[in-house]
Amino acid sequence: MAIKDNIKPTRSELIELKKKIKLSQSGHKLLKMKRDGLILELFAILEKAKDIRAEVEKQFAVASQKLAIAKSAEGVVVVKSTAFALKDTPKLELESKNVMGVVVPKIQASSVHKKLEEHGYGIIGTSSRIDEAVDSYEILVEKIILAAEIETTMKKLLEDIEKTKRRVNALEFKVIPELTEAKDFIVLRLEEMERENTFRLKRIKG
Amino acid sequence: MEIAVVGHNDFVIGFRLAGIRKIYDTTSDNIEAQIQSILNDRTVGILVVHNEDLKKLSPQMQRTLDDSVEPTVIAIGGKGESTNLREKIKQSVGVDLWK
Repeated sequence: MAIKDNIKPTRSELIELKKKIKLSQSGHKLLKMKRDGLILELFAILEKAKDIRAEVEKQFAVASQKLAIAKSAEGVVVVKSTAFALKDTPKLELESKNVMGVVVPKIQASSVHKKLEEHGYGIIGTSSRIDEAVDSYEILVEKIILAAEIETTMKKLLEDIEKTKRRVNALEFKVIPELTEAKDFIVLRLEEMERENTFRLKRIKG
Repeated sequence: MEIAVVGHNDFVIGFRLAGIRKIYDTTSDNIEAQIQSILNDRTVGILVVHNEDLKKLSPQMQRTLDDSVEPTVIAIGGKGESTNLREKIKQSVGVDLWK
């Protein structure tokens, strides 16, 4: 083994190795706990993500239908001109929060769902079909913002779970066994040297 | 930050009605270049694309969008994004939890 070629069988090396093993074991334990904690967090968010995804898809179907009705009833030109008359644009604010060392975004949106009179286009010139389409698209945007926050959180958690899992496995199956092997090798070598020494002394005496 | 929407005319007009200004009406030929420029735009927080358009992109661009956090990419319409997340969960946890 390569590890045996590189180590010196001395007592100081043995002490050093023992320290390293202890550190790796405690690190392994902590990382395992972190991995389990992250998986629990993921479980908690998974249901939310599934629900919000289903809601977004449903709302998108509803909004598309309402837009199609508005287009066919009022004409594409009217819908487009209404769209260009809108004043306020939804603004996002990205904050971050920490979940077990993983920085996840917290998205806050302003002025997405507005009242009828706050849209910016004339109420008299447009029909209720357009209002309905606008309304359902505003709800869709609200849901998209929520989905974005949850899905990003999930992506980040999954990324970190994978990273932590790889670290745990590397410590468990590579680092700790190699260090233990090196420690055993030094112990054996030191015992061997001890025996050689005793034998040598006995021969000298004899 | 703002929301950006990329796609064909019928897809984006509804979002224009919701007040979103960053609307990019593109054909399938230049959608990749358009998305690349949005990814470089620091004022965009969420990018909305249609699943059908997402499938037409190069595998490399799809991977970039999958991994992108800022802006967060949301694909809607058709079927697709949930399978992406599903694959990611399978890969990371080892079990298919998205059922």
